[in-house]
Amino acid sequence: MIPALPSGRTDATRRAALKQLALTCGLVLSSSSLSALAASFSAPTDFSRRKKTLLAPGQLALLQELGDIIIPATDTPGASAAGVHHFIDHFIAYCAGKQEQQQLLAILTRIETAAQSEFNRAFLTLDKSKQVQLLNAMEQAQQGFSQNDRKGLKQLKSLVAFGYYTSEPGATQELAYLAIPGGYKGNFKLKAIGRAWAQNF
Amino acid sequence: MEKNIYIIKAQEVFDAIVVGSGIAGGWAAKELTEKGLKTLMVERGRPVEHRKDYIGEGLTAWQMPFRGEVEKAVADEQHYVQKKCYAFNDATKHFFGNDKDLPYSTPKGKPFDWIRGNQLGGKSLLWHRQSYRWSDHDFSANARDGEGVDWPIRYPDLAPWYDKVELHAGISGSRENLEILPDSQFLPPFEMNPVEKEMKARIEKRWSTRKLIIGRTAHLSVPAPQHLAQGRMQCQARNECQKGCSFGAYFSTQSSTLPAALATNNLSIATNSIVHSVIYDPKTNRATGVRVIDAETMETREYFAKVIFLCASTLGTTQIMLNSVSERFPTGIANSSGVLGHYLMDHLYGAGAKGRVEGFEDDYYSGRRPIGLVMPRFRDYNEKNPNFKRGYFYMADAQRAGWEQMSSSDGFGVDYKARLRQPGPWYFNLSGSGEMLPRYENQVSLHPTLKDKWGMPQLHIDCAFSDNDWKMMEDIADTAANMLETIGLKDVTKDIRAKRDWNPGLSIHEMGTARMGKDPKTSVLNGWNQAHDVPNLFVTDGACMTSSASQNPSLTYMALTARAADYAVRQLKLGKI
Repeated sequence: MIPALPSGRTDATRRAALKQLALTCGLVLSSSSLSALAASFSAPTDFSRRKKTLLAPGQLALLQELGDIIIPATDTPGASAAGVHHFIDHFIAYCAGKQEQQQLLAILTRIETAAQSEFNRAFLTLDKSKQVQLLNAMEQAQQGFSQNDRKGLKQLKSLVAFGYYTSEPGATQELAYLAIPGGYKGNFKLKAIGRAWAQNF
Repeated sequence: MEKNIYIIKAQEVFDAIVVGSGIAGGWAAKELTEKGLKTLMVERGRPVEHRKDYIGEGLTAWQMPFRGEVEKAVADEQHYVQKKCYAFNDATKHFFGNDKDLPYSTPKGKPFDWIRGNQLGGKSLLWHRQSYRWSDHDFSANARDGEGVDWPIRYPDLAPWYDKVELHAGISGSRENLEILPDSQFLPPFEMNPVEKEMKARIEKRWSTRKLIIGRTAHLSVPAPQHLAQGRMQCQARNECQKGCSFGAYFSTQSSTLPAALATNNLSIATNSIVHSVIYDPKTNRATGVRVIDAETMETREYFAKVIFLCASTLGTTQIMLNSVSERFPTGIANSSGVLGHYLMDHLYGAGAKGRVEGFEDDYYSGRRPIGLVMPRFRDYNEKNPNFKRGYFYMADAQRAGWEQMSSSDGFGVDYKARLRQPGPWYFNLSGSGEMLPRYENQVSLHPTLKDKWGMPQLHIDCAFSDNDWKMMEDIADTAANMLETIGLKDVTKDIRAKRDWNPGLSIHEMGTARMGKDPKTSVLNGWNQAHDVPNLFVTDGACMTSSASQNPSLTYMALTARAADYAVRQLKLGKI
């Protein structure tokens, strides 16, 4: 009864799909109502509110590297291709309190100083294996890393995950996203999509 | 919407004025106009046109600059109360009030969160849409234990009006034949998922007094012809409700009552019109109109009518009444009893428990269902109470964990990403909605000196949870945790949010302060929502409530409003008001 709607569509196809859906549901709408209905789905985006950043170029580069270590490119894009580092840079500047901003800066500093003291090199110049070795030790609060370091790293991972799974590639390629599911199915097998649904907000 | 329905100044005497345009106001306007009354709807906020003004609708997370979060400076400076509401986000924030413009005071150490939806449609655009009839057990609660005054009505008085409003609004649910939670006129229920079905089976096997059923909600699971005629469509399970729904899939003023009222050609609307007070004529003992302050220009004007319905939200209505002073009513219109402003209630939310369900790894669900499950009340009904009065019901659901829950798990890289790609374990939770006792001490009054920017005296809200309320919340959490452990769930945790961050008001079920009752000496309104003291003044929003029950109250506001409108029109035609 309800046509299947593709996910991750453009606004134009979304409008067309919506019109089709209205017709299929037998909804009698005037042409002006229908275009109003369709227009409400041509999402306005207001990114002009997003100018400020928090991080210096070096910190941003470190965050980009860490993002791809946490969520690398596989058969779907990784964190940096999804622009996660840029998102976090803006997000933390606008939506976080001073304390959270300091926590992010502190964990970036902690990772960099650990690389210097452990390997006498910048984190960005380390081999991938050494980078992961260092982060694993930090996450396990071993080899001189504290519980506080572990906590800071966990917060960073949560922030990267938030940036990634709410990005377009994260939500629509890595996960499955339906803008208009068409209804709720309580008897639905995981193998039908083989991955988790992205949420909407 | 035709533009000429909006008016600013009016010389005519309308048949009826409805103050407010939310759930109660929309129903009052629909019923009064359909019965032929020339009606003016007065709304303090701006117009919101169905579809066109749902500016956040359809926005995905990545189409919003902060993925749905609101800039901290904006939230902290303009929405320091509203931001506590679960539905407040970047795509809905324009439907919440600006707290800087809407000040109120509370005593030190007694916070109250007043959530405001000041626009055409009011909080009908923002509500959570769960819709349950109240039962005779609820309407007789005060009489049974002596807390508060007795309701002047019983379930049979309201049952036909529930029928009427449900058929128009569209309520989905399952027929259960439960006396404690009477069935509505239902559209088909939403489905339960396999884990919810399993939890239902385990609980009902262990406790004959407890049922777990699908929740009831004002969503068109399958629209009936009358809903298609309203221009509404089937719920698509998008979970974008509070952004506004162009499908009209959930009941709101815009989707459902306003089109019906406009179709009569008897409706006019005055937006940006803040009602300062009700005008009272001592010679006739009638309310003759309302004094209004223009929200934008600060100009004052008056509107006149033969009958007045106050539907301005629980506390909005009472603020207007308290500010309507005259020689006859020095403490507020229709307040000869002295109880106006007293017996404020909310629901007890945020207490409950959750646990992990083993197995069901192959099962999932599709779509974002707009409703969970409920376990109708058993405390003080078919099970004894440990140490408190009244009872509660549970809301419940089962879902699989997602990246939000798993993102701080150990590991990096390909394995971590692969793990978060898959849905996590199932969790089942029970969360209470408890009945708050009506207490004289929980009250609102006009602040003696503080005013808002329009010159309206600010409301001073003095409300706190009582010993009974706290004991009930403890029982809600303990009983939920015990239930989940008994049916074999793992990692069971319980919580009482009111101990941390859930203040009175935040359940957004504020009720009372102009209560109904049989005796004019102890109540403001009679059994028809008519002021005992002023026969052409009606109050049909949450202010009228005499007790709080534990069910979501909006469906009852709809039924009470339709019933009161019918009565008012009959009285008007008989020349009695």
